[in-house]
Amino acid sequence: MSASRYAFIHPYHPLHLVIGLIIWSKWFVIMYGGLSVACSVAPPRPDQGALTLINLGLGVLTLIFAALLAWLAWACAQSARQAEGRPRFFALVGSGLYVASMGATLFVGVPVVGFPPCI
Amino acid sequence: MSETASSQTHDPQALHEGMTKVWGNPRGIRALSVVNHSTLGLRFMATGLAFFLFGGLLAMLIRAQLALPGEGFMAPEIYNQVVTMHGTVMMFLFAIPILEGLAIYLLPKMLGARDLVCPRLTALGYWCYLFGGLILASSLVLEMAPANGWFMYTPLSSSQYSPGLGSDFWLLGITFVEISALSAGVELTVSILRTRTRGMALHKMPLFAWYILAMAMMIVIGFPPLILGSILLELERAVGMPFFIVESGGDPILWQHLFWLFGHPEVYIIFLPGAGIVSTLLPVFAGRPIIGYGWVVAAVLTTAFISFGLWVHHMFTVGIPQLAEFFFSAASMVVAIPTGIQFFVWLATLWLGRPVLKLPMLWILGFLVIFVCGGLTGVMLALVPFDWQVHDTHFVVAHMHYVLVGGMFFPLVAGAYYWLPLVSGRMSSERLGRWGFWLTFIGFNLTFLIMHWTGLVGMPRRVYAYDGAMWGFYNVISSLGGFVLSAGIAMVLLDLVLHFRFGKPAPHNPWQADTLEWAVSMPPNPYNFASQPPVETRHPLWNTPELPRTIAEGQHDLAMYSHGRRETLGTDPLTGKARETIHLPGNSFLPLFAALALAVVCLSLLVKWYPLAALGAVVAIGFLLRWSWINGAHPKAAPDARVQAGAPPLHSRTMDGPGLWCMGIAMLANGALFLSLLFGWFYLWTVSPAWRMPDTSPLPWVWLLVGGAALTVGMLWLERMVSRLRNEKDAGLASGLFIISLLGAVQVAVLIATLWLAPLSPTETAHDAVLVVALLYVLIHGSLAPVLSLLQGLRVRYGYVGAHAPYEPAIVAWFWRYTVGTYWLVFIAVVLMPGLMGGSS
Repeated sequence: MSASRYAFIHPYHPLHLVIGLIIWSKWFVIMYGGLSVACSVAPPRPDQGALTLINLGLGVLTLIFAALLAWLAWACAQSARQAEGRPRFFALVGSGLYVASMGATLFVGVPVVGFPPCI
Repeated sequence: MSETASSQTHDPQALHEGMTKVWGNPRGIRALSVVNHSTLGLRFMATGLAFFLFGGLLAMLIRAQLALPGEGFMAPEIYNQVVTMHGTVMMFLFAIPILEGLAIYLLPKMLGARDLVCPRLTALGYWCYLFGGLILASSLVLEMAPANGWFMYTPLSSSQYSPGLGSDFWLLGITFVEISALSAGVELTVSILRTRTRGMALHKMPLFAWYILAMAMMIVIGFPPLILGSILLELERAVGMPFFIVESGGDPILWQHLFWLFGHPEVYIIFLPGAGIVSTLLPVFAGRPIIGYGWVVAAVLTTAFISFGLWVHHMFTVGIPQLAEFFFSAASMVVAIPTGIQFFVWLATLWLGRPVLKLPMLWILGFLVIFVCGGLTGVMLALVPFDWQVHDTHFVVAHMHYVLVGGMFFPLVAGAYYWLPLVSGRMSSERLGRWGFWLTFIGFNLTFLIMHWTGLVGMPRRVYAYDGAMWGFYNVISSLGGFVLSAGIAMVLLDLVLHFRFGKPAPHNPWQADTLEWAVSMPPNPYNFASQPPVETRHPLWNTPELPRTIAEGQHDLAMYSHGRRETLGTDPLTGKARETIHLPGNSFLPLFAALALAVVCLSLLVKWYPLAALGAVVAIGFLLRWSWINGAHPKAAPDARVQAGAPPLHSRTMDGPGLWCMGIAMLANGALFLSLLFGWFYLWTVSPAWRMPDTSPLPWVWLLVGGAALTVGMLWLERMVSRLRNEKDAGLASGLFIISLLGAVQVAVLIATLWLAPLSPTETAHDAVLVVALLYVLIHGSLAPVLSLLQGLRVRYGYVGAHAPYEPAIVAWFWRYTVGTYWLVFIAVVLMPGLMGGSS
């Protein structure tokens, strides 16, 4: 179990260019899939509007994922400050992509605040 | 392993002649065996151009029919065929293949490589594209073309409402063509990551390579859902498995999901290479490096991912819950941001540079104007209420053409003018080119700008006659514009044709470009680089202008031909450090023969001669296995492992050659197809109103456990053998591989018995139909895995594989891992989960 086996989690690894966007994709699938299954299994009453457990669950999920992406963005940005050349490039662009993924998560998740889930 | 094979020469002429002997293309009938990327890239582009003319002719027929309200130019059934074929040809037979052709032609030159990593796969891709395209196009000549719109919605495309062969032509022809797209996707990805020249680190490679990397990976992930959808729909039409029939537990909306899971990323698969051309050309004509290389990389990757989260915006009117619609609405707006970033990068580069308005630049300016308009109407369409208003109207047709023609065609013509001197060694006519541009630009806007209004005042798409009082004025202008547009394109084509005869000889690197493709000869020789130069900058020709000379003099890597092998450097995907000498296969008829056998399969399925289809499939597999046989230490590949002094070892003598990467990427595509199948299973289970899940699984789970156990033991045994090979131990390798094959055969027997004996009614319920497809999926993989192991065992006996050439079992191990993984996932999804969650309706 050498350290090189875990090199992919190092902030200078190019995988950080896609990890944030993969996390965003997973979040998106969970949101859409979870909503569909929840509406199929236990649809809330239409007169509840957006005040439902489904909206609450999806909202909390969105905040958790956004927080995770924000932390990863911060960690990469910190590492970028201490590097030059190729490592700096990947850490900096990776950080930007975590920010972009976080922004996409929050923006796409905003509708859970105002819309009923299953109508 | 690294010994000097023979002396090398540095006399440029002798080096050129020697390299040409090794890399040259044969003439006459043997030209059909060519696998060289330059030749095949040009063939892709020439074929794509021919299909473009065909699709363009269909467009003119449509505009002629719509020019006047009650026009009797075409009968309605012919009009439907023409409209469907126009969309299908332009999307599947022109846009994607011609961009793939451009990438196939250019990328090795830009990366400092001699060819793509799998030349025979390039050839197979080309033949599949040509034959599939011809089969599809022939349907129109036979008046049997599909007539359901280019997205083939069910139930209109099902056998009940489309009983002829039209839908079958589409489903089989497109699936055949998509073999080509997937092969290009796999090999472009691996070539970009593993064959850049020495020193070209990932963050130093040309931006065009980033764009094509994103495009290739999007093809790998995005095309399989449509392939699965096409297989399911064809199974429904051919043998009555009711995947999309509501009363049998299916759902026609599943088709829409599968189609648009492919269809929306497809737009970006087409746009990204176009934007890549812009990001390559624009800095050259601005005379300075692009502003914000990192921003562009981030924007490209963001676009590639987010574009997979938009597919439902094509389905806003089918009755999905509002909240889900707003997720997709928001994602559709978000995707505009990375595109906007690229626009600002381009504008900033122009602003800070000294732009020169040469012909390619004129087309790029046309792109900037048209694509911005298309992008803005895209954001309008992302708004659910607006989309409801204009759904299925000419507004959508206008938007789509602004995006696709603006985002792909204009950059493509810019690129054609830019790289033409490289291909032919001649310059095109500036005057004819400008005429062509302005006629195209004006004609395009005349046709499609006004079509926004046609749609806004309510004219539906795909109608052959309409109310002249409401829409007559708009349509006649659009038709006039369409013919002006055609005249512009004809002018461009005339210029391209004439320049081969009358164009002025081009000076070397005529645009003073920075990228490496301009370091090769004009027109390029078949080996690209007599020696592969080290590159540690993003602008090799600006920083080292003498590179063309030093390359031709053989001053860099692999300036050797006496071994008779085609070689290119294999490098580390991140750092660009040289790791292997990749030996590439020479010309071969096997790709052509395999594609011909697949064409027989396609045609036999079309006319329902199933025994012939089965025979064709067996023959095709035979050719492909023969292809895999001529590899590694085989006498016709690389029996002699000696390399030039200082050069890295041959890839087949290592444990990490490009084939391993190709298998990994191919399994990603395979996995996307598998996940689409699981999605279909859970979708129908959750959504379809008539879905019936039995209380107990009709499959004998104990037998399936036994089969899975045999397969898993085989995989673990193979892992152990690969691990021993890593330590250069090959005792008992052949017999071990034979036993592993036997274990695989046990699993095959179990699956066949299960399919034979289980009480399944796949033509009566969608539930049983999905079960059968899932079992067939694992059966196909479970059959191929032991065959591959058996072949490896034989290769060990022949001396082609062993401690001296340990690499192939590692590739086969990847296939086994995938097979075992999907086997157990199928077991959990279709056997365990229904039992655990209880039979439900």
